[in-house]
Amino acid sequence: MEIKKIENGNELKLAVAGRLDTTSAPELEAEIASMPDVTDSLVLDFSELEYISSAGLRVLLAAQKKMNVKGKMTLTGVNEDVMDVFEITGFSDILTIE
Amino acid sequence: MISIRHLRKEYEEATPLLDVNAEIEKGEVISVIGPSGTGKSTLLRCINALESPTSGQILIDGEDITDKNCKKHLLRRKMGMVFQSFNLFAHLNVIENVMKAPVDLLGKSRQEAYDRGMELLRTVGLADKATAFPDELSGGQKQRVAIARTLATDPEIVLFDEPTSALDPTMVGEVLAVIKSLAKEGLTMMIVTHEMKFARDVSTRVFYMDEGEIYEDGTPEQVFDHPVREKTRQFIRRLKVFEESITSHGFDFLAVNTRLEEFGRRHLVPQKTVRCAETVFEELCVQTLLPLSDGEPDIRMTLEYSEENESADMRISYGGRSFASLGEADPLSAALIGNSATEIAFRETGSAEYPHEITLKLK
Repeated sequence: MEIKKIENGNELKLAVAGRLDTTSAPELEAEIASMPDVTDSLVLDFSELEYISSAGLRVLLAAQKKMNVKGKMTLTGVNEDVMDVFEITGFSDILTIE
Repeated sequence: MISIRHLRKEYEEATPLLDVNAEIEKGEVISVIGPSGTGKSTLLRCINALESPTSGQILIDGEDITDKNCKKHLLRRKMGMVFQSFNLFAHLNVIENVMKAPVDLLGKSRQEAYDRGMELLRTVGLADKATAFPDELSGGQKQRVAIARTLATDPEIVLFDEPTSALDPTMVGEVLAVIKSLAKEGLTMMIVTHEMKFARDVSTRVFYMDEGEIYEDGTPEQVFDHPVREKTRQFIRRLKVFEESITSHGFDFLAVNTRLEEFGRRHLVPQKTVRCAETVFEELCVQTLLPLSDGEPDIRMTLEYSEENESADMRISYGGRSFASLGEADPLSAALIGNSATEIAFRETGSAEYPHEITLKLK
């Protein structure tokens, strides 16, 4: 997995490419944990994300909870396979997907 | 008619035949099938005395062809062999190729050999090519001439060593049709072949060769529809098998995924099925079963992909604590596993090594 980080004022954009699974999820978790205090908008660009497992979903859930307090979290570019996973697990109801 | 006893053939680099035993009766049509390199052709070549076995016996009508004092040339007259590569004499025309052995070896008159040769060419549908030279024939026609030539010595047993392997796919049918018609005439035949439908249709008996022996022997119905042994089943159903074991908590997860994707690419497994396999491996083996292992884990995953049905089955065997239903898993993992499989079953195997087993039919 590869994460590209773009900070723009109060917005933090993380472009995640590859697989978000047991091995790589902690990396995204650490990236989100180190987010600047001023960030009130977290954008996760998933246009290059190929696969997500429950380990990745748990990181998204924790991030969503955190951003509910701080501001908002948005997912962009979600492909069909990943969208399937969101739908099966009910995540499509709790995440903001554009 | 042919009795093979403890036949073993060793080469410096390999031992294709470890211990082959068989009794073959007159009139039987036996297809010899199995993966490449399992000694099928070596067996035929030993029967025809083209290879000397390392040990064991081959008795043809009671005479041991492995005995040094055996008159091999006399026994060979009882047998004919059709090779993959035709082996026709390029400088002789078709009828001369067919007449050569009867005249030179059996001492038949040219007229007698010609008459019988023409009759055989009619049988294989090539009477009108009698004066053509091998170079003027297609591969399928050359092989049909080779069959006619083999029959010209009136053998009691005909051995076919992959008779269609060197042919263009469009020509396989014509050669198989000729062999099929011979089978109906009561000739004793052994055919090494990769043509499974043909083997099923033409044979009275099938030998599946593997591990240096006749691994399974039965009627076509038994071997093709109800194979008893594991390797026969994998071969018949064209199963491609991927196996991984997790034996430490720090195992290389990334490497397993890479191998799984490589397996999928190599065997043209649909991408969706590979994804389902990856999901089940991660959610069930890694996220659910691995944390249940108190000491060193021992989880074995076997993925079988059937090229025939384009279906994939996964079997997960493990020790330690039992996990008896998806309800016991984390709800996210359970949802993803449930979405990757159409069927899932849990059972206790009774084996000491892997007492628990989960089988899944993947989407």
